[in-house]
Parts: sequence; C-alpha cells; structure tokens
Amino acid sequence: MMLLAIWLVPLAGAIVNWAFGPQLKRAAGVVGCVALAVPFVATILSWSAATQNAGSAVGMHQALFSWMPGFDFGLLLDPLSLIWALIITGVGFLIHVYSVGYMWNDNAIARFFAYMNFFVFAMLTLVLSDNFVGLLVGWGLVGLASYFLIGFWFFKPTAVAAARKAFVINVVGDVAIMFAIFLMFAKTGSTSFATVFGHVPALGNWLFLVCVFLFIGAAAKSAQIPLHTWLPDAMEGPTPVSALIHAATMVTAGVYLVARCWPLWNASHEAQLLVGTIGGLTALAGALLGIAQWDIKRILAYSTMSQIGYMIMGVGVTAYQAGVAHFFTHAFFKACLFLGAGIVIHELADEQDIRRMGGMRSRAPVAFFAMFASVLAISGFPGFAGFFSKDAVIFGALEHGHPWLYVIGIITAGITAYYMFRLFFVTFFGTYRGDLDPAQVGVMNPSEPAAHEPAHGETHAPAWLMGAPVAILGVFAVIAGYVMIGANSAWNRFFAQTFPSANLAAPAISEGWTTAILFVVMAGGIAIAYVRYATPVALADAPARLRAESQRLPAILVKLFYFDELIDWLFVKPSQALGRFFGSIFDPDVIDGGVRALVGFNTGLGTLVRGAQTGLLRSYALVIVFGAALFAVYYALQGAAR
Amino acid sequence: MHANLLPVALANYVALSSVIFFIGVAGVVLRRNPLIMLMSIELMWNAANLLFLAFARAWLNNAGHIFAFLVITVAAAEAAIGLAIVVIVFRSRANVDVDEVAMMKG
Amino acid sequence: MVLLLILLPIAAGSVLFALPRGERLWSRVIGCVVAAATFALPLLDPNGGDFSARWLSRPFTASLHFSWSGFSLWLVLLLALCTFCAILATNAAQSRTMVALLLMLEGGMMGVFTARDILAFALFWDLMLIPPFFALIEWAPHRETAWRFLIYNFSGGLTLLLATAAFGILSGSTDVIGGTHQFAGSWAPWIFAGFAFAFAVKTPLWPLHTWMPNTYAELPPPFVAVISAVQSKAGLYGFIVIALPFLRSALVEWRWLLVALALVSLLYGAFVALTQTDTKRIVAYSSLSHLGLIVLAIASANPVAIQGALVYIVAHGLFSAALFLILGYLEEREETRSVLKLGGLGAVNPKLAGAFTIAALAALGLPGLAGFAGELVILTGVFRAGYFWPALIALVPIVLASAYMLRLLQDVINGPQVAALPRRPDLTVIEALAVAPLLAALLLVGIYPHALLAAVMR
Repeated sequence: MMLLAIWLVPLAGAIVNWAFGPQLKRAAGVVGCVALAVPFVATILSWSAATQNAGSAVGMHQALFSWMPGFDFGLLLDPLSLIWALIITGVGFLIHVYSVGYMWNDNAIARFFAYMNFFVFAMLTLVLSDNFVGLLVGWGLVGLASYFLIGFWFFKPTAVAAARKAFVINVVGDVAIMFAIFLMFAKTGSTSFATVFGHVPALGNWLFLVCVFLFIGAAAKSAQIPLHTWLPDAMEGPTPVSALIHAATMVTAGVYLVARCWPLWNASHEAQLLVGTIGGLTALAGALLGIAQWDIKRILAYSTMSQIGYMIMGVGVTAYQAGVAHFFTHAFFKACLFLGAGIVIHELADEQDIRRMGGMRSRAPVAFFAMFASVLAISGFPGFAGFFSKDAVIFGALEHGHPWLYVIGIITAGITAYYMFRLFFVTFFGTYRGDLDPAQVGVMNPSEPAAHEPAHGETHAPAWLMGAPVAILGVFAVIAGYVMIGANSAWNRFFAQTFPSANLAAPAISEGWTTAILFVVMAGGIAIAYVRYATPVALADAPARLRAESQRLPAILVKLFYFDELIDWLFVKPSQALGRFFGSIFDPDVIDGGVRALVGFNTGLGTLVRGAQTGLLRSYALVIVFGAALFAVYYALQGAAR
Repeated sequence: MHANLLPVALANYVALSSVIFFIGVAGVVLRRNPLIMLMSIELMWNAANLLFLAFARAWLNNAGHIFAFLVITVAAAEAAIGLAIVVIVFRSRANVDVDEVAMMKG
Repeated sequence: MVLLLILLPIAAGSVLFALPRGERLWSRVIGCVVAAATFALPLLDPNGGDFSARWLSRPFTASLHFSWSGFSLWLVLLLALCTFCAILATNAAQSRTMVALLLMLEGGMMGVFTARDILAFALFWDLMLIPPFFALIEWAPHRETAWRFLIYNFSGGLTLLLATAAFGILSGSTDVIGGTHQFAGSWAPWIFAGFAFAFAVKTPLWPLHTWMPNTYAELPPPFVAVISAVQSKAGLYGFIVIALPFLRSALVEWRWLLVALALVSLLYGAFVALTQTDTKRIVAYSSLSHLGLIVLAIASANPVAIQGALVYIVAHGLFSAALFLILGYLEEREETRSVLKLGGLGAVNPKLAGAFTIAALAALGLPGLAGFAGELVILTGVFRAGYFWPALIALVPIVLASAYMLRLLQDVINGPQVAALPRRPDLTVIEALAVAPLLAALLLVGIYPHALLAAVMR
C-alpha cells in the first residue's frame, strides 16, 4: 500500500495537472508539490520496513500483476532503491517548490508541472521495479519526460532539436538494455532481479555480453562517452528541469543500474575494467570540456557528466558504496548549483553567458552563499559533502586494483576545482559586465533575451519560493557527507546487507595520503582559478582578459572533441544517404524497374502476336478451316496407321 | 447391325453430309456477303445434324436425336445474334461487305 | 450469428447506394451503427458463432465454415473498431460512397478473419481487395495507383487460389483452419510458396512493397486507416493460421528466406522513412518496417514470439489507424502533406497535437504503450529461438523509428509557427471521438497485454 502510494501519487498529480491545467493555472504548482510531498513522506515512513530483513531478502516487496506470461511485475523497496526514492522525492520536492517561482510567469505552468510529476512517476517506476522489464519501462518513460521537458519551449528550434537528440540517443540505450534482457531471459527464463541474480553462473559466456549491453544503456542515460553529446544540449530546457532530471536524478540512473546489478559486475572482471575505464575517461573528458565553456548551464552540464563519470567509475570497480555515496552528495550540491544558476539567470532576464555576468554577489546573495558551499563541495573541499564521497570513489579505485583510474580521478579533481571556481569567480565577483558591448567581453553571437512569451499581467513570485530551496540544498551540500565518516559509518552500515563486503589488501598509498594528495591538487586548481579571475588585478581587467581567453581557447575543446561531428559522419549521414538511395533510387528504379521490365516483356509479346488479329472475318474463317483440316488429316493418318 | 432399319447405306449419308458441309465451308470462306455467310454456316450445322440422325438410326442410340435438337436450338440463337450484328453493322456504314469491316483489328 | 457479421456490413453497404449521392449525415449514422453492431456481436458470445455449410464435395471437400473463436476474435474486434472510427472520421464530399465502400470492405475482411475453410478464406481474400480498388479509382489523383494495387494484390490472390486448390486436392479437405494436422510431401514447399507470396504482397514484405506507399498516400485517410491497420494484417493472419500450423515443415525449409526478407523490410522501411517528406509516406514506410518484425516472429516459429506477434498485430492496427486518421485531419486543415511546409501546430491545435503525440509515441515503441509490449516479447522469442544476430539487427530499426517518428511529430507540431499556414480550429468533438478509442486501447494493451493473450490462448 505504502509502495503504491509512493509510486502512483506523482502520476495522479501529473494527470490532474494535465487534465485541469487551464483551470488550475498557478495552482498547478501546488498540486505538483503535494504530489511530491506525499511520496516523500511515505518513503520516510517506509524506512524501517525497507531496511530490515523480511524473510529471505532485505526490503519491502509487492507483486502486482503478470504483464505477460513470464513477465511478472512488482515493486521493491530495498536500501538501494530507498536512497534513490528519497533523493527523487526529497530533492524533487525542493525543485518543485523552486519551479513555482521560476515558472511563475509562464503561460504553460500547468503543462510544466504535469511533465515534472510524470517524470517523477517514471523515475520511481525505474527504481522501484523488481524486474528488468519494469526498469526498462521506467527507463523509457524518463527518457520521454526528459524529451518533453527539454523541448518544453517547443517554439524554439534549438530546444526541439535538443529534445530529439536526447531521445534518440536514449533509445540506443533502451534497446541495448532490451537486448541484455533477451540474453538473461534466454538463459535464466526470468527477468526478475531475484531470479537473474540467483542464477549468475547460468549466464556462462554471455555474462560479459549482458554487462556490456546493460552498460550501453547506462552510458546513454548517464551521458558517458561516447553517448554523452545529448546532455549539454539538454540545457535548452527550463533550469529546474536541468536540476532535477539532468543533474540530480535521471542521469544517475546508469549508476543505479550498475549498482543494482552488482552480482553481475562482481562476477565479471572484464566488465569492471570496461565500466571503470569509461567512467574515468568520462570524468576526465567532462572536466576538460568544462574548462572551455562560457554558458553557465553548459559548464554545469559538463561538470555533471564528469561527476557521473566518478560515480560510474566507483560502481564499475565494485566500490558500490562509494559510487552511490557520490550520487547522494552530488544530488544536493549539483541541484543547488543549478537552482542557484537559475536565480542568476532569472535575475538577468535569461542571460546565460558568464562573460556577461559578474558582480552577482550583491544581486543574488542567497545564490552566492549556497553556490559557494556547493562549489566547495563539488571540488572536494574537506568538510563539505563532496569531499567524503569523492575521496571514497578515488580511493576505492586504488583499493580495487586500478591505479591508473586513481590517477585520472586525482587529475580530474584538480581540473574540477579549477573550472568550478572559474565559474564562481567570473559570475559573482567583480563588476557587472552585462551593460558592456557583448563583443567587448568576447561574446560573438549574443542570445536573444526572453525565451518565453511574457504573460499578461506579470507579477513577481515571492522571493522565498526560489530562495528557500536553494538555501536548504546549500545546507545539505555541507552536511550530507557526515553520514559517511569512518569505516563503520552509518552509510556503510546502511548498505551492509545490500552490497557484499570485500576483503581487500591495503593499497600502497593509504587513505590518509590520498586525502592529502587530493587536497593539494584541489588547492592548486582553486589557486589557478583565483590568480586568473579573482585577484584585484584580474578583476579590474576582467573584460579584456575574458575576451582574450575566448579567442585563445583550443579548438579541440571548443569543438567538444569532435564527438558530434563523429556521430554525424558515422551514423546520421550514412543513414540519410541510405534512406535517400532506397527511397528515390532503389524503390522507383530497381524494384519498380524490374516490375516495369516484366510489364514490358508482356507488352512485347502482345505486339508480336497482334499481327494475326486482322479483324477480317474471312481470314479468321480460313484459319479455322485450316485448323480443322489439320485435325482431319491427323485423325485420318491415325486411322490409316491402325 | 440392323440393316433393315436403314434402307439407304450409311456411307451415302456420310457422303451427302460431307458434300453439304464443304459447300458450307466454301460459302463462308469465299463469299463476302454476311447473309450468305450466315446461310453457309447454317448449311454446316445441318450437315452435322444429318450425320447425327443417320448414326442415331444406324446404332439405335437416341442421343443423336437429342443432339440434333440441341444443334437446331443453338443454330437458331446463332442466327439471331449473327443477323443482329449484320443489321447493326449495315446501319452504321451502309455497306455489308465483310472485307470492309475490320473494327476488331489488333 | 457469424454470417450476420459478414453479411450485415455488405448488405448495409449496398443499401447505402440507394441514398442520394451528396448525402452526408445519414450514411455516416447508418455506417456507425452497423460497425458498432459488428463490434458488439462477437462480444455477446466470445467463444461461439460457428456456421458451417457444405460447399464442394469433389475434388475435395470444402465448406462455407465461419467462426470467431480465438485469435479471430481480436482481429474481428480490431476491424470493427477501426471501421467504426474510420466512418466517424469520414468527412469527404462523397461520404455516402465512402461509407458504403468502407462497410463492404469490412464485410469482406470479416469473411477473411472468420473463415475456417481455406477456400472460403481465398474467396473473401479477393473480395476484400475490390472496395479499395474502387476507392482508388474514385479518389486517387493517379489512376495508375489503383491498377498497381489491383495487379499486385490479385496476383497474390491467384497464387493463393492455386495453393488452396493444390492443398485441397492433396489433403482431401480445405475445411481445416483451427486444426493442426501437418501437411508434408514434395508439394508442400510449393504450396507454402503460393500462400507466402499472397501473404507477402498483402503485408507487404520487401521487395513486394512498392504498391503500398502510393496506395497509402493517395487513398482517403479513413480508407488507409482500415487498410493499413487491418487489411495488411490479413497476410500475417494467414501466415499464423494457415502456413504455421499446416506447413510448418515447409516454413522451416523457407525460413532463411523469410528471416532475410523480414530483416531487409525492417531496415529498408526505417531508412526510407527517415528521408521521406510526405507525412503519409513516412507512416507507410514505417509500416513496412514494423510489419517486418511480425514476419520475423512468424519465421522464428517460436511460441513466445508468436504471442508477441499477436500483441503487435493489434498494437500496430491501433496506432497506424490512429496515425492515418490524424494525418487525415491534418491534411484537411492545412491542405498539405509535406513536413517541409508544416510546423508549429502544437500551439494552434493542442488537442490534435496531443493525439498525434500519443499515436507517434506508440509507433516508436514507447514503453507503457502497446507497441513496446509486442516488440519486446517478439524479440525475446526470436532470440530464444536461437536467432542471435537477427534479434540484434532488429533493434536498429527501433532506434531509427524514434528518429523518424520524432522528426515527423516535431516537424508538424513543434518549432515556430509557419506564417503561410492557415489557422484552423482544433479537433471537433466527433473527430476527437474517432481517435479516442484507438488511443485508449493503445494504453490498455500496453499496460496489461496479458488480458489480450489470455483470450487468444484459451
């Protein structure tokens, strides 16, 4: 019952908002928030039931119905899905409250909340399902919600294109998971987690293949190389969407999937190596790309990609607790960063280029303090949330025998500190540069103001609607890591029954030294950012410096490692060429050409024999007589022979 | 063989029938007047009828009689349709020479 | 009862011709009532409705034997539903003629789907090809399209008849549908080929598909809705109830060819749909792709895949009927079918856009809607039957489907408003009612496909 409430109340909210949107107007926001508050409370109430041992397995389980013969559907709330459900509904609730303020003057506010509630329903389907098919259904539906929300302002061609790109790349992931389901179903005869994980040896040679296909799905959803190109474009959606879907919850579904399938990963070393490596590379690539961006939301998008790379690296190398921990802390500080950025963007009438910001410290003080905490958290500053989880992931890589992933993790941490503080300094310090000529700060094609059509009778939303959620998330960006202190922390005890404990030999570099190295690297990153952007000299000279930097950025970073071009040349262009060839040459000329040849042959045959049809009665009669005579002669000869 | 049922020898019937038939054939092939051609066709029908009846008598089998009636019926129908066609063609072109009519040329 | 199902629409269709030519209201009312009656009739007695009368005794026994039990029931209901919706959506100047032809089409197809005798099946097969032909003669801009439709499909009808005759002579009776006795021997592959050719033309299967895009693009939307949703399923139905039970050994022999053609259809249709600009042709080629999947399921002859095929047959019927009706509304409003000229209709016609979105999402296999259920179960079964690579290749068109369906959807309803397009009113109540049952059924089958299967398997 509790599970059903958690699962279905957001759907009810979506339906109400969708059906009565025109009547509800801004009240849609209230409906949307209530539809999140109820499952959040229900999740907390289910805490004890979800974490204690009920019979054979941990957690609450509820069988629902048989979807098809062999495909039974049910809900499962165990510690792993509990963490996700808490973040989805809890952080989701805060973001919904914030959205009421953010979308205050948008005509389509009811539609917005319908989509948002639908997303939460879909995401809960994903994490609460007790089988792979239900997970896949949720997987597809979050993709749909993401499509709708990226393309929310559907009159903007860029938003429409971004939505399509996100959806198509996510479908690549969907079908990969589908194929993994075929493999598992063929070998174990079931799609439920319990059965499949109970029969891992039955997968035999296909184990690695199953892991690969599951991971393709995870990579598409979690923006891992080379399926990451949709995430930066997805920033076309409203900012709360970026915070909820493209930072805190949906994009971490890949982490959930790998963590959920730990029995498979534990059994396959190749899969660990593959996933760990991709995660590490994505972390590094995202951080490098973050250096060269100017759009505040795109910087955050690449940092999301990079941080998810860490999480994937963590769960990939089987440091599951660490990977999930980073998801947990990241949800707070990244949502806070996005929402803070949203306040800034709102303040500046939809300007997103940090070169045209500056001095926002006094204009958006709440955002300043909350984002300061979050930037420290994401950089891994000791005492802030990200410090504990990132440390755990990086040390986990070494602990599980992947030294070079350890090195990548440390390098990435330094770069992260640099570009996040770059964002922070350029946005909040110095003086406001939006009044200057865009070209003076290096902006070559300034965006047009006001993405949405202004509503009649615009009013201002109460400031606390946007301020309070940001402040709360900022607090969590500080304290969320305190549950993870020490080897016998609350966090580790919470997952003790979920993930297997591994007895590992102590690595060459101890955890204490790792922390020290990380601190030095991070401090270096912050120092470089400070010298370049925040010293009094740099601040005084900011426009010229920014313009110079814009012109000197390396092409490979500006072009995003040419991934978009690569995908275009490898897949999009050949598909279109093939389609055009089939549609306008093969069909009309080759196939129909063959049919026309057949028609032509028959026509020719007809022309040949039509000469005999003179139309003259007497010539026909003559032929008849001649034919009859032939018969007569034939029978006469036969008779004579007999 | 019941020779007494057939006062004239069967061979004579066959010969007469053949003669009539070939007169008909010659009429159809050589004449250009559709009316004459129709009459010649009628001759051929009747040559066949004569044979049916002669053999029916000779072999005491009534199927020949029945067929003769059938042939008469079909011949009547054929004559009716043939004459109708001739009349229509005559109306449209005021000329009934079959060599002038080749509307069905392929 | 079952005779009524066949004769009522045909009789009503003939009677409608007595109405004046320009009549618009009553023909639609009568048509809807008749279609609704054919929908209700089988529901009164889901298991029965058996009618049998001896037709031939020599050279083989054949009966006019009809029944709607099992799988037939779903197709009968799908057909009645689609006909109902199509008649409701009919809005042409000559509604009388269109409704009359639609009813006759329904009657003919009812015969195909309820026949328990292969000869009766073949008879109604040819009968169901006639109304679309006249519709093409009446409404298609190019007369050639009508002849192409007729020649392609009747050559299929011819091989179907020959195969039926050979089957009857060699096995003694054609009154066999529903049974399972195996037919083997040296003639079996050829008889199978005869059936398969007819079914492949109708489905259509690459490379016998070139009649289809033109036919679908040029027929009036209510007609395409019924043809693509239900008539194209006649071939698949034939595969499942004739080829699969009686000629399994021959099917196994020809399997490599069927699998290859199915895969080519899947990919070919998807690639072409990516680049077409005519809305109806995009959906037509997507049909080629989607139905290839069902042929793949049949060729694998795996019970799980066949279950999936049953679900997907119904699903495809529902979403293609909905899509074509919606495209019809669109064409009526904007007077163009080119995606290059359309755009921004979401803001002007939100209801139309909503309905279009649901139908398109079902077509691209969104989880939770009917298409996904079919795809997943079919491919699971195909994979289980040992077809590793075909199952993997068949995933590619799913990705392509999302690309071309979203392209169609977004080009029409998203983006800035096109100034050249007239602003026409949103869906009327009747137009909305005509697509609502289809969309509701899509959702229902998607969420709980088991109900559908349970009825078929009983």
